[in-house]
Amino acid sequence: MSSDIVLVIVVGTALAFDFTNGFHDTANVVATTISTRAARPQVAIGVASLLNFLGAFISISVAATVANDVVNADVITPTIVFAGLIGAIAWNLITWWLGLPSSSSHALIGGVVGSAVAAAGLDAVLAEGLVGKVLIPAVVAPLVAFLVAGLSIGLVYRIVGRQRPGPVTRGFRYGQVVSGGLLALAHGTNDAQKTMGVITLALIANGTLGANADPPLWVIVSAATAIALGTYSGGWRIIRTTGTRIIKMDSAQGFSAQGAGAAVILASTHFGFPLSTTHVINGGVMGAGAGKRISAVRWGVAGNIMVAWLLTLPAAAAIGAAAYGISTVTGSGALGPVLVTLMFISILVVAFARRSHEGASVPAG
Amino acid sequence: MAVIVQTKELAQTVIASVVAGVGVTLVFSIAIWGAARFVDLNSSRRPVAAGAAAALGVVALAVTIGSVIVGIVVMTSK
Repeated sequence: MSSDIVLVIVVGTALAFDFTNGFHDTANVVATTISTRAARPQVAIGVASLLNFLGAFISISVAATVANDVVNADVITPTIVFAGLIGAIAWNLITWWLGLPSSSSHALIGGVVGSAVAAAGLDAVLAEGLVGKVLIPAVVAPLVAFLVAGLSIGLVYRIVGRQRPGPVTRGFRYGQVVSGGLLALAHGTNDAQKTMGVITLALIANGTLGANADPPLWVIVSAATAIALGTYSGGWRIIRTTGTRIIKMDSAQGFSAQGAGAAVILASTHFGFPLSTTHVINGGVMGAGAGKRISAVRWGVAGNIMVAWLLTLPAAAAIGAAAYGISTVTGSGALGPVLVTLMFISILVVAFARRSHEGASVPAG
Repeated sequence: MAVIVQTKELAQTVIASVVAGVGVTLVFSIAIWGAARFVDLNSSRRPVAAGAAAALGVVALAVTIGSVIVGIVVMTSK
C-alpha cells in the first residue's frame, strides 16, 4: 500500500516534469519558424504541440535506455525515482528562473543518478550506459548539429545565392513548415520517452512490471499528452515575447537549423540516445548563423550553454541526493515523499507569489 | 573503452545526421533554384530553358519529400 502511494506520487511528479519539459522547450522548437514568419505563432505552436504528441508514439528506444541502461533497476525503489524527479524539476525551475539555457534531459538523468547513488552507492549506476549512451552523445550531438547546419547553409547560399531573394525566401518559408514540423516530431519522440522511461523504471522498481519491460500504453499516452500540453502552454508566453528574445535569421538559415536539429535528434532516437534537444537545436541555430557569418553567433550565449551543460548533471544529482535523504528521514514509507512533495509545492507557490508581487518578468526557457 | 563509447552506434548516428541533414537541404535548395530560374526564364521568354529548370525543380522537390518520408520510417523503426 505504502509503495503504491509512492508510485502514484512518482507518476504524478514525472508527468509534471514532462509538462515543464514541454513548457521549457517551446521556444526552441518554434522560435525559428516564428522569427522567419514561416508560420503565425498560434499555428506554429498548435502544430508543434500536436507533433510533440504524435512523436511520442513512434519509438521506445530512448525510454528503454532510461529505464534499463542508466541505473541498476535491481536496487532502484520508487522513492529513489521520486527523489531524482524532484532533483530534475528543481534544477529546471532554478535555471528557468535565472534564465540559464539548461537541459531538462540532463537534469532528469542527473537527478535519478544522484538519488540512486545516495541510496545504494556507486554500484547503482551503470557506468557503461551512462557514459556511452548519455554523456558522450550529449557532447557529440550538438557539435554534429552545428556542423550539419553550417555545411547546409553554405550549400544553400552557393546554390541559390544569385537568385532573386523573393522566391527563395518564400520557398524556404514553405520548407520551414516541414522542417519545423520534423523538429517538433523529433522533440516529442526523444523528450517524451525520457518520462516514459522514468515511469517504467518506477513500475519495474515497484514490481508492477517485470525487468526490461517496455512502457505500457497508458504511460506512452500520458507522457505524450503531458509534453504536448506543456508545449502548448509554454507557447503562449513566447508569443508575447516574440521579437525580443527570438534569434533573427533568414528563412534559409531557419530551414538549415531545423533540418540539422531534426536529423540529429531522429538519428539519435533510433539508437536510443537520450539527448538534450535544447543543446542540439541551439547547436543547429549557431551552425546556421556561423555558416553565414561567424560574428553573427552570440558566442556569449554559447558560453552560457556550455556552463549550464557542465553544471546540470552534478547540480541535479546533488539535489536528487538531498531529496532522497529528506524523503527517507521518516523511514521507507510514503510519509517522506508526501512531505517532500508538500514542501516543494509550498516553496513553488511562495516563490511565484513573490515574483508576481515584485512584477518581474519571467525569462523564456 | 570502445564498448563504453558505443563507437558503431555513435558513428552511424553522425553519418545518418550528416547525410540526412545536408542531403535534404541540398536537394530542397535545388528545387528552389529550379523554381526561381523557371520564373526568370519564363518572363524572359525562354520556354525550353524554363521547362528544364521547372523539371529539375519538380524532381528535386519529389526527392526531398521522398527522402523525408524514408528518413522518418528508417530512423523510427528498429
